[in-house]
Amino acid sequence: MECSDVQEKLSAYVDGMVSSEEKMFIDEHLEACQKCDDSLADLKKTLEYVRDLEEVEPPPWLVKKVMARVRGEAEQRRGIVAWLFYPLHIKLPLEALAAIFIAITTVYVFKAVEPEMKLAKAPLEEVRTPTYSEEKEKAPAIDRGKPEPAEPPEQFMAAEEREVPRVTYRQPAKAPSRVAEREKAMPSAGVVAKDESQPRAVSPELTLARVEGKKEDIRLALTVEEIEAATKELEKAFMDLEGRIIKREQTARRSLIVAELDSRKMDELLEKLKLVGEIEEKALAGEAREGDVEIRIEIYGKP
Amino acid sequence: MRSMGEQSTPLDCPNWMREKRQLVRDEDYDLVSSCVKGDVDAFEALVKKHQKRMLNIAYRMMGDYEEACEIVQDAFVSAHRNLKGFKGKAKFSTWLYRIVINRSKNRLNQLKTQRHREPFSIDDPLLTNDGQIAGEPASNEPSALETLEEKDTRQKVQECIHSLDDEFREVVILRDIQGFTYEEISDLLGIPDGTVKSRLFRAREALKDCLKRAMGAL
Repeated sequence: MECSDVQEKLSAYVDGMVSSEEKMFIDEHLEACQKCDDSLADLKKTLEYVRDLEEVEPPPWLVKKVMARVRGEAEQRRGIVAWLFYPLHIKLPLEALAAIFIAITTVYVFKAVEPEMKLAKAPLEEVRTPTYSEEKEKAPAIDRGKPEPAEPPEQFMAAEEREVPRVTYRQPAKAPSRVAEREKAMPSAGVVAKDESQPRAVSPELTLARVEGKKEDIRLALTVEEIEAATKELEKAFMDLEGRIIKREQTARRSLIVAELDSRKMDELLEKLKLVGEIEEKALAGEAREGDVEIRIEIYGKP
Repeated sequence: MRSMGEQSTPLDCPNWMREKRQLVRDEDYDLVSSCVKGDVDAFEALVKKHQKRMLNIAYRMMGDYEEACEIVQDAFVSAHRNLKGFKGKAKFSTWLYRIVINRSKNRLNQLKTQRHREPFSIDDPLLTNDGQIAGEPASNEPSALETLEEKDTRQKVQECIHSLDDEFREVVILRDIQGFTYEEISDLLGIPDGTVKSRLFRAREALKDCLKRAMGAL
């Protein structure tokens, strides 16, 4: 083995990383070669110097600093994860699910309500557009050749606009009129549609009451001399007409009767009411209805 | 001299078995498992356990105590961040030391680049003829008994270590200062055992020559 070969292996030799055969050759060579023996001594001294280098101690704040950063990052990560995924631990944020659910519900509700919204909108427009002159021209054309039922069409008027506070209720039509046809298609809008032939001012309150379909079909206010006596007379009138009183309320200034009555007997009832006091209509929504209607009568004393 | 003392795995074992044995043998396995589950206190235990060795590796690589502290901090934070990526194929300590070595090398490259761009400053570390850093190493509270001669010798040794190329410096630090086995150095640096052996030979020769020049005789 040459000196260069031995010196090249001296590094591994001092670490015990040579084979036993190599070690034997090197040992033999070192005994005979002073130069290589000196090289080995220098190497050992070098390693001694290096290994004598003292260790440095970590500063006391190192662990604290590291852990502060680690905890900060861990909490931030946990915060984000919690914000997005807690408590499901799945890769789909709960908020996203909620948003989708709300969106679907909104669309569903909107679709369900949409027809009603359209119906509610239509009559209001119809009420606003017609003028008296237009109606006068149109009304005969509509009715010509298609005789209306014997009873005149229902009228919706504010009490102060009418000379006679007469409210007529529609009897079942013998021949279907155009209005009646439209009524079939749009039952809730029909009430106002019939008003096209009646060029009268309809108060928004009245129209709204009809559109909204309040519980009481007919709301009347009655101004009387004496509330108690009038209330009794009204009760008697309902009994005579085979009506059914649902509710009674009486206070010092006002009395309330809610009753059910066959719509065909409304005229008779109104005649009787006229004898008791002055009638003021508040809302009429049941005129188009057949059978029983619910009537709410508020009785006030004259001031 | 310290050694990780890893036992050799029987060659007839299948890979998965070897890996499993290695996992079980890793003394940090339990703590690492707890860390992966989110136990930050377990990570603190690991930091306390490995901080000194990591700091010494970084310090010998950098030659600057403050820089070494910064590197160790970053290495630990990076390790915690990537803990789920640790598959247990190597020991956890090996994985940690690899991080600190790589960060030290990256930082050295950054500093070299900065020195090329920035004008000379009296605060800059001294440069050797080889263009390596030869900064004053931070001493660990020198004792009163320490002689000036010893201090001077240590400084020269440190300067010589810093005069080595990166690839030689790291093998000298890992083998002769930290006492890792050839196999462990091979794992840490991702190089074959033969390369470890040859690099060590060349590194030691260069170090020997440097010390001879610095001290006259060994």
